[in-house]
Amino acid sequence: MSLLALKERSAAHPAGRTPKVEFRNITKRFDSTEALSVVSFAGMAGSVHAITGENGAGKSTLMKLLAGVYPPDSGEILFDGRAIRFDSPAAARAAGVSTVFQELTLLPNLTIAENLFLGREPRRFGFADRSAMRRQAHAVLQRVGVDLHPDVTCGDLAIAEQHLVEIAKGAAAQADIVIYDEPTAALDAPGVDKLARLIEDQRRAGKLVFYISHRLDEIFRLCDMTTVLKDGKHVRTCPTADLTHDALVSLMVGRELARLYPERGAKPSTAEAALRVTDFVARPGGAAVSFAVARGEIVGLAGIEGHGQREIIRALAGLAPHMAGGALKFDRDGSAKPLGGSIVATARAGVGFVPEDRKTEGLYQPLSIQENIGLGMLRGASMMARAKIDRNRVRALMQQMNVRARDDRQSVSSLSGGNQQKVMIGRWLASGVDVLLIEEPTRGVDVGAKAEIYRLLRAFVDAGGAALITSSELTEHIGLCDRILIIREGAIVAELAGEEATEETVMSYALIGRPPERASR
Amino acid sequence: MSAVSVRRLGRTGLGLVSLGLPLAMFVLLSARAPDFFGLQNIANVNSQITALLIVALGQLVVALIGGIDISVGSVVSLTSVLLVLVDPALAVPAALGAACAIGLANGIGVAFFNVHPLIMTLATMTFVQGLALLFVSSAGGTAPAAVVMLARASFGGFPAAFFWCVLAIGVVSIILYKSRFGLRVFAIGANAQSAALSGAGVSGPRIACYILCSLAGAVAGIYLTGRIATGDPTLGQAFGLDSVTAIALGGVQLSGGVGSVAGAVLGTITLGLIANGMNLLGVSPFFHAVVTGCLLLGAISLQRRKVIGV
Amino acid sequence: MTGAIVKESAASPHWLKMVGARLANLPISYIGTAALLVGAGLARPALLQPFLLLLILRQAAPLGIAVIGQSLCIRLLSLDLSFGGVAMAVSYVLTSGYLPFSEPVLIALCLLLGLAVGAINAFFIAHLRASSVIVTLAMVLILGGVVTAFSQLRSPGESPELLRYIGQARIGILPVTVLVWAAALIPMALFLRLSVFGRYVDAIGANPRAAWASGIPYIRAIYAAHILSSLFAVLSAFLLVGFVGFGSLSIGADLALNSLAAVILGGVTFGSGKGGMLGPAAAAFMLMFSFNLLTSFGLGEPGKEMAQGAIIALAAIAYSARSARQWA
Repeated sequence: MSLLALKERSAAHPAGRTPKVEFRNITKRFDSTEALSVVSFAGMAGSVHAITGENGAGKSTLMKLLAGVYPPDSGEILFDGRAIRFDSPAAARAAGVSTVFQELTLLPNLTIAENLFLGREPRRFGFADRSAMRRQAHAVLQRVGVDLHPDVTCGDLAIAEQHLVEIAKGAAAQADIVIYDEPTAALDAPGVDKLARLIEDQRRAGKLVFYISHRLDEIFRLCDMTTVLKDGKHVRTCPTADLTHDALVSLMVGRELARLYPERGAKPSTAEAALRVTDFVARPGGAAVSFAVARGEIVGLAGIEGHGQREIIRALAGLAPHMAGGALKFDRDGSAKPLGGSIVATARAGVGFVPEDRKTEGLYQPLSIQENIGLGMLRGASMMARAKIDRNRVRALMQQMNVRARDDRQSVSSLSGGNQQKVMIGRWLASGVDVLLIEEPTRGVDVGAKAEIYRLLRAFVDAGGAALITSSELTEHIGLCDRILIIREGAIVAELAGEEATEETVMSYALIGRPPERASR
Repeated sequence: MSAVSVRRLGRTGLGLVSLGLPLAMFVLLSARAPDFFGLQNIANVNSQITALLIVALGQLVVALIGGIDISVGSVVSLTSVLLVLVDPALAVPAALGAACAIGLANGIGVAFFNVHPLIMTLATMTFVQGLALLFVSSAGGTAPAAVVMLARASFGGFPAAFFWCVLAIGVVSIILYKSRFGLRVFAIGANAQSAALSGAGVSGPRIACYILCSLAGAVAGIYLTGRIATGDPTLGQAFGLDSVTAIALGGVQLSGGVGSVAGAVLGTITLGLIANGMNLLGVSPFFHAVVTGCLLLGAISLQRRKVIGV
Repeated sequence: MTGAIVKESAASPHWLKMVGARLANLPISYIGTAALLVGAGLARPALLQPFLLLLILRQAAPLGIAVIGQSLCIRLLSLDLSFGGVAMAVSYVLTSGYLPFSEPVLIALCLLLGLAVGAINAFFIAHLRASSVIVTLAMVLILGGVVTAFSQLRSPGESPELLRYIGQARIGILPVTVLVWAAALIPMALFLRLSVFGRYVDAIGANPRAAWASGIPYIRAIYAAHILSSLFAVLSAFLLVGFVGFGSLSIGADLALNSLAAVILGGVTFGSGKGGMLGPAAAAFMLMFSFNLLTSFGLGEPGKEMAQGAIIALAAIAYSARSARQWA
């Protein structure tokens, strides 16, 4: 129980000890969305400090402020009691902050050694000292327990290996503060163990480790302190030992799940398929999947990120080629149209695709709400035809979706994330499609907007539409979907009814491909 | 997309086309043109491609960072003009200084103001060409004797062109493969955002790359002016596109991060051999531009970009 | 404290800010033309005679027509620098007498050539995703090389009668070229404003990836733009050939760069999804006027080139600085 003793010790802040890092009244806005709102708390040296909360709670944003990716709008960050301000990631690193970002930052054309030491290469006579780089890289890889040669090009590594190298990169830096942003998202069990050992070493060496995660098991296993954020606000910072699973969940969620999600519709009596996918292979050498989505149904493709859900939905949309098999979209009159050809044909067949990244792939940021929604109304029109955009219809939709904006001429870039998301979905509602393929229906959206978007989607399928979604939030699948298809290594390993699914069963299928051994707690 | 091409080609970008094309030209020419292997002809090819090689190496540096510089041809022209206009003692420093200023302007426009590199360098290309013509309206004047000597002399049986090539290849290789700067060039070219998150500055190296490219243009201009011993305000007109063609043929990905000095050299040799072969086979020199244009189209069709447009 | 300040500025009259924003977003060409006219009025009042202004307008017509195509390409985030090559080829086909056909057939041939060049450009740009600058510059090399090689056999001669009439005649005081310009510009502007195609152009310009992901026929739009652009280049070359009266290998050589400068000055910017047809048209006039002004100051061709370069660079920087501020 020495571990527990250690936890206790670092948890009880000795009076007068200056925190290693202190956040004071941090506020950060993106466009008009407040990502962080007056957040204050502190982290002590020699502790592992969990930062947790739901998606969009502001965890990553907070850590990116600390990592120098962008500055806070107001408030200050104190190091050992002194206010500091980083104007670049390089400056933060020089000050001793090392970050393992959620998105991979490895450069595919560099070797492991080059990636590990990019930006602070060992020098010899002013030149990069490659042999020293290789030597030190080898040492770091060993310390982390990664059995890879430093000269291997990172583009050649498997995704899980890349994540391990990313972690090694964080460990290679001489830093007092190490930030891990969702480091286990793509790791297998041995990988997680390696990471746990590394973090324990770092804590013993007196470093402050910030560990961003919403996986409760990991938080209880690794972290001494826990800070919960919700909708950009600080909820609580306390020793992890003071919390229970349930207490932590209620701090994170803070509301009844049932209220967030709309009632599921009655089971479609006639299984009238709107979408049928047969022996569909979305990536080279991948497994074939077959499933159908009926009218009145929301079906979720769940699984760990990187297991092929994204490839399936994108290939169905026609954004990427598929290898084998086919998909049909059925109109109400029963006529079938093939899917998976080109995205232009997909839209013409009456299928809309809503991408996960609304900024880069979803919305026309400089254009107005009216133009963004109106473009949907032009679906299928000849390019030579006169563009008829019914503004009254746009306004009616805005009202129905509860889009909060001055008027329909306001540019989309000035809307909050939730309202932007509604506009993006609204474009397809206006277009008259009856099947929607949706990636991450509520990414980066506040809770209120989430509930509204869920209601919109439910209303869409209740009116005879069908929707297929992917989501990285298990609760979203369980709360929203009628059926959940669990994808593991590109194949469907299980199909669960939304009402029966629990986080534990879905996770178990997603991770090991079979149901949990014990009944859920 | 970039991960895939990296996996297939490695960081050098050398592939079937970049290696096979010069070889095929070589075989073809030695079979069809009996004069091809003459010592005189080889020396000719060498001196013809030297200037393009130097420019292509500069273009390579910019391409690796994901940029492009079509103003480099105008830099060659301006250098030629400055060499005959400015006092011989100051001519070379003046040319190099002007090149630095042009590269700096390109770099600042691209790195700080986010102007598309093609638009930015198109603008400087036009401006600098105008400047060169403003100084001298047509070819004339005398190049400094030292410059002429450096470009025309031969040492130990090797023509000067050979040494210019070796020196240029050596310097660029050291910059790209041995220095910390070189490593960052590859990193920024592959993904500027990731490189910045990893703590490598982005703007500085970007600007430096454009300056290096302009300097390469100035060096090529010095060499060429020495060869012809006179100033010519349109000397470099073809170099902007030719250098892009050369590196694209050499497997350099214009989207950045993939390419090699060897590729730039091979691409230049391919272009040189094609020009030489057309000469030897008696094809009208006016079709030279047509062939270059077709090759350019072919070479960039081999590139895999995600973006449509500029 | 800060809260109070924010409230205060929010309370300042809404319409005032709107007007300010409108003015700041006005194409540089409007303000620039006005400034040039005033400047000329002070330094070279002779240039402001109606007769001369009409002459400048006539000079600007070929450029103005090329600008229509260029602005379409730029609004789709592409670029067409092949105008010079097209003009050269058109001039040769029409005036060399190498092709033994009647004038209408030759004119039709030129239009076909434009169609083909535009389609080839679009093929490389849209299907092979090659850089539009490089593709269209390669096209200049190819067209220019072929024409130069052929003109060793037979050099260009007189322009067709019909084109000389269009290039030189006037109706009342209005030069016919200016009417041709208007006849090309106004329908095109209306079409872009009212049609589905116009909406797609805005959408693609604002966010090409989003346009792609939502099933807008991106590739067909690129084809349409480049084919139209080459056809406008042919039309522009018709006017030039008619205006000059005989063919020349250097005809239209600076069309591409001038049109690029005009489009940027006219307020069409990469990635904004915004931009009209009138701003670039005013910019075409503004450029021609400034070149005349430069000539009157004794700065010849080199001065023009430097001005082109400086305008493109400065306008591009100004717009990108402006949009950076808006996005901040």
